[in-house]
Amino acid sequence: MTPVPLRATSIRNLNLLLKTAPRFVQNQFRQQSTTSSVNPEEVSHFNALASTWWDPHGSSRLLHLMNPLRHDFIRTCHASQPDAPPTTGLKYLDIGCGGGIFAESAARLHSAGSVTAIDPSPEVLAIAKGHARKDPGLKDKLTYRNTSIEGLPIPTSPAEQYDIVSIFEVVEHITHPAEFLDKCTPFVKPGGWIVMSTIARTWMSWLTTKVVAEDLVGIVPRGTHDWEKYINEEELRGHFLRERGWNSPRVMGVVYVPGLGWKEVSGSERVGNYFFGIRKDF
Amino acid sequence: MNPMAQALRSRQLGVYVCTACSRQLRRQRRSYAATAAKTPDIYDVVCIGGGPAGLSLLAALRSSPATSNLKVALIESQDLSKTRDFTLPKTEFSNRCSSLTPSSVSFLDSIGAWKLVKQERVQPYQEMQVWDGVSGARIEFDWPAEGKGKTIAFMNENLNLTSGLLKRVEELGDVEVFDKQRVADIGLGEETEEGDLRGWPIVKLDGGREVVARLLVGADGVNSPVRQFAGIGSKGWDYGRYGVVATLELEGSGWGGEDLKTAYQRFLPTGPVAMLPMPGNYSTLVWSTTPELAAVLKSLSPKDFIAMVNAAFRLSPTDLAFLHTQTEGQADEVAWRTQHTDFDASRIPQQVIGVQEGSVASFPLKLRHADTYIGERVALVGDAAHTIHPLAGQGLNQGQGDVESLVKTIEYAVTHGQDIGVQMSLESYNAERYAANNMMLGVCDKIHKLYAVESGPLVPLRSLGLRAVNALGPLKQFFMSQASGTGAKIL
Ligand SMILES: Cc1cc2nc3c(=O)[nH]c(=O)nc-3n(C[C@H](O)[C@H](O)[C@H](O)COP(=O)(O)OP(=O)(O)OC[C@H]3O[C@@H](n4cnc5c(N)ncnc54)[C@H](O)[C@@H]3O)c2cc1C
Repeated sequence: MTPVPLRATSIRNLNLLLKTAPRFVQNQFRQQSTTSSVNPEEVSHFNALASTWWDPHGSSRLLHLMNPLRHDFIRTCHASQPDAPPTTGLKYLDIGCGGGIFAESAARLHSAGSVTAIDPSPEVLAIAKGHARKDPGLKDKLTYRNTSIEGLPIPTSPAEQYDIVSIFEVVEHITHPAEFLDKCTPFVKPGGWIVMSTIARTWMSWLTTKVVAEDLVGIVPRGTHDWEKYINEEELRGHFLRERGWNSPRVMGVVYVPGLGWKEVSGSERVGNYFFGIRKDF
Repeated sequence: MNPMAQALRSRQLGVYVCTACSRQLRRQRRSYAATAAKTPDIYDVVCIGGGPAGLSLLAALRSSPATSNLKVALIESQDLSKTRDFTLPKTEFSNRCSSLTPSSVSFLDSIGAWKLVKQERVQPYQEMQVWDGVSGARIEFDWPAEGKGKTIAFMNENLNLTSGLLKRVEELGDVEVFDKQRVADIGLGEETEEGDLRGWPIVKLDGGREVVARLLVGADGVNSPVRQFAGIGSKGWDYGRYGVVATLELEGSGWGGEDLKTAYQRFLPTGPVAMLPMPGNYSTLVWSTTPELAAVLKSLSPKDFIAMVNAAFRLSPTDLAFLHTQTEGQADEVAWRTQHTDFDASRIPQQVIGVQEGSVASFPLKLRHADTYIGERVALVGDAAHTIHPLAGQGLNQGQGDVESLVKTIEYAVTHGQDIGVQMSLESYNAERYAANNMMLGVCDKIHKLYAVESGPLVPLRSLGLRAVNALGPLKQFFMSQASGTGAKIL
């Protein structure tokens, strides 16, 4: 199912997409077949992107610009806790770290004790490691591992778990997100947070990410997004709350405004990029 | 004696500086590498230049909770103990004074420095008299009722400011200070086992010491070595004018007494002459004029110099031009000519009766604007980024505006885990300050050019200009808000 080019007559087709898509993604959530969360096609796509990862004016500029909002979002998650979060020594696990934009920034925070960042693509991880060498301050706090989540030993005690497990701009590239998320949750400490960002599956997000960003403006390379894999916030929320053990789901919708950058716009999680966070019960 | 000259003299005496002569400003030392000789010390911020901009940057970084964990260093070629221990009797003032806008003062207050500036040496003023020496036209400043008697700006010795800033930096502590040391060279690091420092500036001091900077800040004045290292060009020109400064004693404390002080500025064809109030019966002079006339002024006896200053606010440009051709005897000549000139004494400064010994000095006036304020691991602030004609008293204030903005940018970067040195983290600083400063530079430059013409087609236009300024509320408002730094924030 490829998105139709934007023509006046395509509105009907868009409606069709809108009607059929949710069921399609629901199916994804039920599938339990493969053993690895990694989609080989996606990996090769990101390998191609690797060289421009740290070019502030390259195709990853939008990600660089979005990165501060990830910290703002984590801060709002922490601020919502009834108990004060620790101010130092926080342990981060960044899944699908790519070139390390978030992982590096997390490691620089005064409150961060350590950051473990993983990515299945060796090319991308090589870029991340090479870039981290350019900041000697990261050496003691940031560890990269070339693996998918399946490759990490499942923690057996809270000491091995993480305060923050982050999965940014990843689930929309995963073939079986439900299964993938189930593999991530054992890594979260009781009282810790799993935070992620992704794109809602609506005609609006299809228009802005597939048509405008990839085709018309070209700020994001073509093929970066597979709209069919987009997940809506209610679906994520439902996934976590279906099983017990999670509380305080939070969402923050963000919109990229040319000339102004990324802005939080409440309600926009229903139509485009959003952050989602949920806390593990004690 | 002029403290600047004092500082200079002791420097020329050649104070011996050992290579490890870095003063740690607080008891607790942050050790970095054990083998300092081999591995150069890495700092988050290395500031070159301990003038008003550089010291203010350090005080701001150390007083902000978000940035107080950063490891910072200051490099200054002069002896900073001279700055810190700055002290003069109540009857003497340093000749380098600046007017600080209320927004600069509130920034200095917010970083905890203003309380350490000796307030008895600061003079707020509430009135301005600005007029055209050729046509006599005046800008009428009709301050709004609620603004009447409000402080337009604060006159202050630069050394009183830097001394207060330095005390604040010492109070906060944890700043590595390398003073009495010049920057010998700035280069880039290397790739080693430890990491890849090829993008990081390394500052070599003439004592042999090397420091590595995550972010190198050039607060190093108009000839900025940092700007040159970063390959950032600058555009501008020399005005072919000098600013003659002096500390003056007047017959009284001003027409309005201690509580209503006035700043005076008269536009002469050679450039503006300004007299700005200091505490008591004192004032500070900034007379922009040609290098030749500046040389004549500096060579005059105190008596003749005083006469020339009084003449500059009273006599016609033709009389002044004649007086400048004389090598001596100005005092008698001015006395005679003044009797035959009509002026409203209440709208000009009181008579100057004395000039502080050794306080007459001159500085070349220039306009410079760096092509950008940021580069990879480099930021420029203050005169290193822009040098402006002093006619609007904005140079130092612009630097404070830069520092406020840069620190805000660094705070954001730190709290969001950005590398504070990379250009992308610094973009908002450049965006916030560049256009604003450029506009201010342009306005002051145009005012200078408009007035630096004695006759010809521009003269009627010029007085028309000043009258138009009187008529045009919004434009005058611009000047008024600039003077106080309260209006549309074009710091
Ligand atoms: C006549 C005159 C009148 C003025 N009046 C006003 C006024 O009324 N209001 C106003 O706002 N502004 C005024 N100004 C402008 C004001 O003085 C400057 O804008 C201000 O001093 C600039 O501060 P700064 O810290 O950027 O640079 P500077 O004061 O120039 O400080 C630069 C510092 O860097 C150090 N340095 C330079 N190179 C090196 C090196 N290689 N190694 C180590 N250290 C180095 C220097 O020693 C110096 O301490 C006036 C200027 C003039 C000339």
